Amino acid sequence: MSRWFKSWGSGRGAPSGAVSARSLRYATSPLLASKTPPWRSKFLVALLGAGFVVLIGRAVYVQVWGTEFYQRKGEDRYARTLDLPASRGRIVDRGGELLASSVEAPTVWAIPRDLKASADEKRRLARLLGMSASELDKRLADNPNFVYLKRQIDESVALQVRALGLKGIHQLTEYKRRYPAGEAAAHVVGFTNVEDRGQEGIELAFQDALAGRDGTRRVIKDRLGRVVEDIGESVPPVDGRDIELAIDSKVQFFAYQRVRDAVAEHKAKAGSVVVLDVQTGEVLALANYPSFTPGERRNLSGAQLRNRALTDTFEPGSTMKPFIAGLALDSGLVKAHTSIDTGDGRIQITGSTISDHKPYGVLTVEEVIQKSSNVGTVKMAMRMPAREMWDMFSAIGLGQKPQLEFPGAVSGRLRPYKSWRPIEQATMSYGYGLSASLFQLARAYTVFARDGELIPVSLTKAEQPTGGVRVFTPETARSVRHMLQMAAGDGGTAPKAQPVGYSVGGKTGTARKQEGKGYADKKYRAWFVGLAPVDKPRIVVAVMVDEPNNGKFYGGDVAAPVFAEVVQQTLRTLGVAPDLEVVPQIVARHSDTVEESF
Amino acid sequence: MTRINAVLLLALIVSCLYLVKVSYDSRRLFSALDRARADAVRLASDHERLQSERQAQATPLRVERVAREKLAMRSATPAVTEYVEAPRAASAPAAEGGR
Repeated sequence: MSRWFKSWGSGRGAPSGAVSARSLRYATSPLLASKTPPWRSKFLVALLGAGFVVLIGRAVYVQVWGTEFYQRKGEDRYARTLDLPASRGRIVDRGGELLASSVEAPTVWAIPRDLKASADEKRRLARLLGMSASELDKRLADNPNFVYLKRQIDESVALQVRALGLKGIHQLTEYKRRYPAGEAAAHVVGFTNVEDRGQEGIELAFQDALAGRDGTRRVIKDRLGRVVEDIGESVPPVDGRDIELAIDSKVQFFAYQRVRDAVAEHKAKAGSVVVLDVQTGEVLALANYPSFTPGERRNLSGAQLRNRALTDTFEPGSTMKPFIAGLALDSGLVKAHTSIDTGDGRIQITGSTISDHKPYGVLTVEEVIQKSSNVGTVKMAMRMPAREMWDMFSAIGLGQKPQLEFPGAVSGRLRPYKSWRPIEQATMSYGYGLSASLFQLARAYTVFARDGELIPVSLTKAEQPTGGVRVFTPETARSVRHMLQMAAGDGGTAPKAQPVGYSVGGKTGTARKQEGKGYADKKYRAWFVGLAPVDKPRIVVAVMVDEPNNGKFYGGDVAAPVFAEVVQQTLRTLGVAPDLEVVPQIVARHSDTVEESF
Repeated sequence: MTRINAVLLLALIVSCLYLVKVSYDSRRLFSALDRARADAVRLASDHERLQSERQAQATPLRVERVAREKLAMRSATPAVTEYVEAPRAASAPAAEGGR
C-alpha cells in the first residue's frame, strides 16, 4: 500500500511527466478493485449505534439519576443564600429611656491580592482607619486572601472609606452596641463582645432573649448582583426582645453621681448604692464606683469591672443589730422599752471581751439600736437559741444567692448553727463572723419596710406589688422601724442621714476590713442601710463606702449623707409627698393686683 | 384551517413576547422592591443610631450639669416644692407623666 501511495504521490508530483492527468485510470484504481469486506459497513453501523446508546445513557443519567446533583450545581451559579441578621433587642429603663441599643457599625476587610492602591491612597486609608501606613501594610501581609482591616467603625468613616473607591477593600455590616447611659449604669447593663454576645450584666443574663434568631433567604441574583427572585422558603429573622429594666435612670444617675462624689471626698477606694422599691421589689438603682464606659473597654481593670454591690461580700457589722432586736421582740424576750444594763461597756464571753465605743450604762432596747451598743445586742442574742438566730438569718436571705437573673451574684457566708461557739454567736449578733453583699443587706431591710415580710427583688420591670415571706410580725417590724428612725435622728449614730422633708430610719455600719486571717488596722468599710418614709416605707437605700481615708470613717459620717441625698431625690422622682413639715422657701412675689374687667 | 393556524401562531408569538416582557418587568420590580426593603432596614438602623445619640446627649448627668453651670439652676427640694392634691381620677396619669 505504502509503495502504491508513493508512486501515486510521485505521479501527481510530476504532472508534466510521461503520464498525463487525463490518462489516469480511475476505474481501475487498485483501491476500487479490492472488494470491501461486508463486516466493515456493519462495524461502522454498530459503532454509530453504540455512540447513540452512550449518548442516550448519558442523557438518562443526567436527566434521571443525577438530575438533583446537576440542578444543584446549576443553581449554585446563580442562586445565593442571604443571611438575614436579627437585630439585638434594646435595653431600656422603666421610663423607656435607652440604656443599650444596637447600631450599624461597618467592618472594613480586604483581599490583599486584589488590592490596587497607590502609596498615597494607602496612606489615606490608613489615616481613616486610625492606624499608621506600616501597620496597614503589616495587616495586608498577613493573608493574601482575607484580612480584617478594622472592625466596627463609625458610619461616617465607612462612607469616607467607600468614597476612596479602592479595589479589593470591602465592607461588611456588623452591629455594635451603644450605651447612652455610659458609666453610670455600666455594671447593671453590662456589655457585649465584638461578636455581639453578652459578656456581663443584663447583656449576659438575658443573652438568649436579647439575641433573637437570624433568618435566611434563597434568592437568584443577576449578573450585576441584584436580587431578582426569591426561591424556596425564606426563614424570616426573629428580632431580639427588648428588655425593660426596673432601673429608673434618673435615680441611677443621681445615685452614681453621689457615690462617686463621696468616694472622691473621702479618698475612698470604692463605693456602691442600691435603691429598692419596697412595694414591687424592683431595683430602682444599682450603682458602683469606680466604673467604666461600656463602649471603650481597653485598659480596664478588674476593680472597675466589679459590680461590688452584688459580688463583694463583707461582714455586715452593726446593720445586723436591728434584726437581733426584731427577733428578741418577736420571741417575747424583750419589749421595746425593756432596760438592758450595758454596764461599763464591756462584756466577757468565754474569755473574750466585747466592748462598746463608750460606756452607756442602762439602755432600753430602742436605745441599744439607736446608740448601736454591741454589749446590749450581745446580751439579747445570748438569751436566744443559736438555731433561732440561724433561722432568722437565713430567712432574711443571708448565706443564699439572691433570686436574681444576674451573673455573679454571690451568696455570702452563714455557717451552720451547730458549729457556732458561744463567742461566735455573740459576734454574729453585731455582724461579725458572717458575710453578705450590699444587695443582700438592702433586700434584708425590706423585712422592716414591708411590715415583717421579705420580698423577692427584680431587676426587670414588675408593675404589680409583690407578696413576701413573713419573717417578723407587723408590730415588731413597726417598732424596729421606730428604732431605726431614732438611730437616724438626733442622739443616734447617723443624724446626717436625715433628708429634708422625709422621715427616714436606718442603721449605720462601720467595720474593720478583714485582711488575711485578722483585721486590718486602719482599713474600714462604712455603710448605711435605711428606709423612707418611716410610716409608710416606699424605698430601701443601702450605701457602702470602701476604705474611706480622709479622716472620717464612720458610716454615720461617710455613708449617711449619701443616703440622705439619694432618698430625697428618689422620693421626689417617684412623686412621694414629704411627710415631715418643711419650712417653705416659696415666697409669693408682691405686686399690685390688677382689677379684673367684666 | 390554514388561516386559523396562522392566527393562532401569531397569537402564540405575541403571547410569548408578552410573557418575556412580563417576567422581565417582574424581575425589575422585584429588584426595586428588594432595594427599597434594604433601604428601609438601613433607615431603621439609622433611626436607632440617631436615637441613641440623642439619648447620649440628654443623659440626666449632662442635663443636670448644663442646668447647673450654664443656666444657674438648682435642684428642687421639698422646701421649694408646692404639693397640690390632684383630683382622684387624674392622679394616676399625672404621677406617670411626672417621671
